[in-house]
Amino acid sequence: MSTHTAPDAVVDETSAGEPDVAPTTHHAPVPPPADGSPHDDRWRAAARATVRWTASIGAAVIIFAAFLTTQGADPVEALTAMWNAAFGDARSTGDTLLRATPLLLAALAVAVPARAGMFNIGGEGQLVMGAVGAMAMSTALDGAVSGPLVFALLALGGAAGGALWALIPAILKVALRTNEAIVSLLLNYVATIVLTWLVFEPWKDPLSTGQAYSTELPDAERLPILWANRVHIGIVVAVLAALAVWVAFRSTRWGFRLQVLGGNPEAARRAGLRVGSLAIGAMVLGGALAGLAGMLEVSGVEGRLRPGIMVGFGYIGFLASWLARHHPLKAVLASLVLAAIAVGGNGLKISAGVSGAAVNVLMALVLLAVLGWARPNKRVGAP
Amino acid sequence: MIEAVCVGAVAGGTSILFPTLGELITERSGVINLGTEGSMLCGALAAYIIGIETGSPWLGVVAGLVAGAGLAAVHAFLVLHRGANQIATGLVVTFLGLGLTALFGQDYVGQGVVALEPVAIPGLASLPFVGPVLFDHDPLTYLSLLAVPALWWVLVGTRAGLQLRAAGERPEVLRTFGTSPRAVRYAAVIGGGGLSGLGGAQLATAFTRNWSEGMTVGRGFVAVGLVIFAAWDPRKALVGAYLFSGAIALQLQLQAQGSDISRYLLAALPYLVVIISLASLSRRRLHAAPEALNHVFEHAS
Repeated sequence: MSTHTAPDAVVDETSAGEPDVAPTTHHAPVPPPADGSPHDDRWRAAARATVRWTASIGAAVIIFAAFLTTQGADPVEALTAMWNAAFGDARSTGDTLLRATPLLLAALAVAVPARAGMFNIGGEGQLVMGAVGAMAMSTALDGAVSGPLVFALLALGGAAGGALWALIPAILKVALRTNEAIVSLLLNYVATIVLTWLVFEPWKDPLSTGQAYSTELPDAERLPILWANRVHIGIVVAVLAALAVWVAFRSTRWGFRLQVLGGNPEAARRAGLRVGSLAIGAMVLGGALAGLAGMLEVSGVEGRLRPGIMVGFGYIGFLASWLARHHPLKAVLASLVLAAIAVGGNGLKISAGVSGAAVNVLMALVLLAVLGWARPNKRVGAP
Repeated sequence: MIEAVCVGAVAGGTSILFPTLGELITERSGVINLGTEGSMLCGALAAYIIGIETGSPWLGVVAGLVAGAGLAAVHAFLVLHRGANQIATGLVVTFLGLGLTALFGQDYVGQGVVALEPVAIPGLASLPFVGPVLFDHDPLTYLSLLAVPALWWVLVGTRAGLQLRAAGERPEVLRTFGTSPRAVRYAAVIGGGGLSGLGGAQLATAFTRNWSEGMTVGRGFVAVGLVIFAAWDPRKALVGAYLFSGAIALQLQLQAQGSDISRYLLAALPYLVVIISLASLSRRRLHAAPEALNHVFEHAS
């Protein structure tokens, strides 16, 4: 361990996960003190957090509006257009829900490894490989299976694709101590190239001219639509996955072990935990969740592969997980917020003529506000 | 063929060498910044716009430096003043750079560039092989080549370099001697961002000579990997940067010659080269890591 006499607070903050949660709180809740009123405290803390959040997001929106003004857009009009594009009617609300689905799974793909103290920035590539895995499964089945079973098999293919892609940084990390954040990040670019290759060569639809895309999934392999002609059953799957991860974190031995590992790997090792396989498992489960998101996109929305499918979903999922501080249920809300901003970008483009990618500014500002301000500054004795 | 690959490696390597050196300075001070990608984009766009608006490529280069440093200042403030997580903040800063450049760059897509022209060094440029490879480039490429020994000298031979290394290795010692580690880190992060901005400026105004959204395609992230590859040593950073750009140049050459090797495999090659070299070196290289960074690298190993 470090021999620093004054441990450096800045560096301590580089750990993933929630350093301010004591490792035992989830397993054995501390009984409320007999005299005090813990509920009051909790309410006050919640109220304070809400105020901080509102102020952070408000400030981000104001700065973003200022940027829009420099581009000659009327900020009120532009923000209204964004709101309408995200929640204006059933169709746009549907778009937001549709976008939130992969974002939520991509956020969980970050949250699970983060609990074990690892950074998975490879959600983007894992999503792509999930889509590829689902397509490979569909090709292998060749229409031989139908009914609910086919979706289970496609999901399996997607999860396997994402898991395998996450296995690379995980194994390199455990065996060779290679930095998993950087390897998973660089693999995103490789995954994109693999997808481009598949779509332009082996899986190219012979009918496609100019824009290349793969052959289409058969109708029996398209997910059932629930609402607004577009929202497919994937949103339910994603929310169930968030619940499952939440339960696993709170009340399983595995969730507790991950937290011990994330809190202090050395202590975990001395306590006899199999640190290597735990770490690989967390990363691979994350990859599987991202891969599932890729499968849902192919089977529920796109129906085929094309280059540029799901661009940015993995990164935005990373932001969503940090917005939620890696809490699986808060991640549901965080994904919805970021999905609304992303979908709002379409409105921005149409009404104000501003590039849709400009909404990245708003997302980044919200995240910066939350990372920097939305929790008490607990640094004492700064250098 | 070999000459063409080498020329391409040096010409294309500048835009990866600058951010690698910038990230190296940053990490030597004990901070990791994944915002290099964003700083590069901001530097590229600022150099492009200012070049067009003023007609002077050199004012553009200065603007690129300032823009890259400005974005890195956001990272520095959040990490050093607000105790925000370094990896997450860096990635968010890159997102900010992506968004800002998309917003401010949309009117400039496809506009003619005011290019930073190559300057052949009289005499040396006409040497066989060495001439075209080393002595017929844009000024920023020469600057990046000079920056490598200069940075190495600063690190090992000057007081500023000692303070930088101390901030990354033993901040409490630095504090004892009356220098604030935080001030040193601020300078390192912002200066590193400035170098990333220079890399972006070279990419947009001298190498590709255009502007498009997200044109750096991961070069800033590759730079972060190359710093580990280089074991935080500027001389090895030079090797790493040219290995990466050499892989790109090789791909372009093979493609131009209609080679049988899949162009998709070749496109993935630069990234694979970095990943494989990281994997094969990491055990040894980690000993060279600045002490304050170990926390980032040794999680759950």
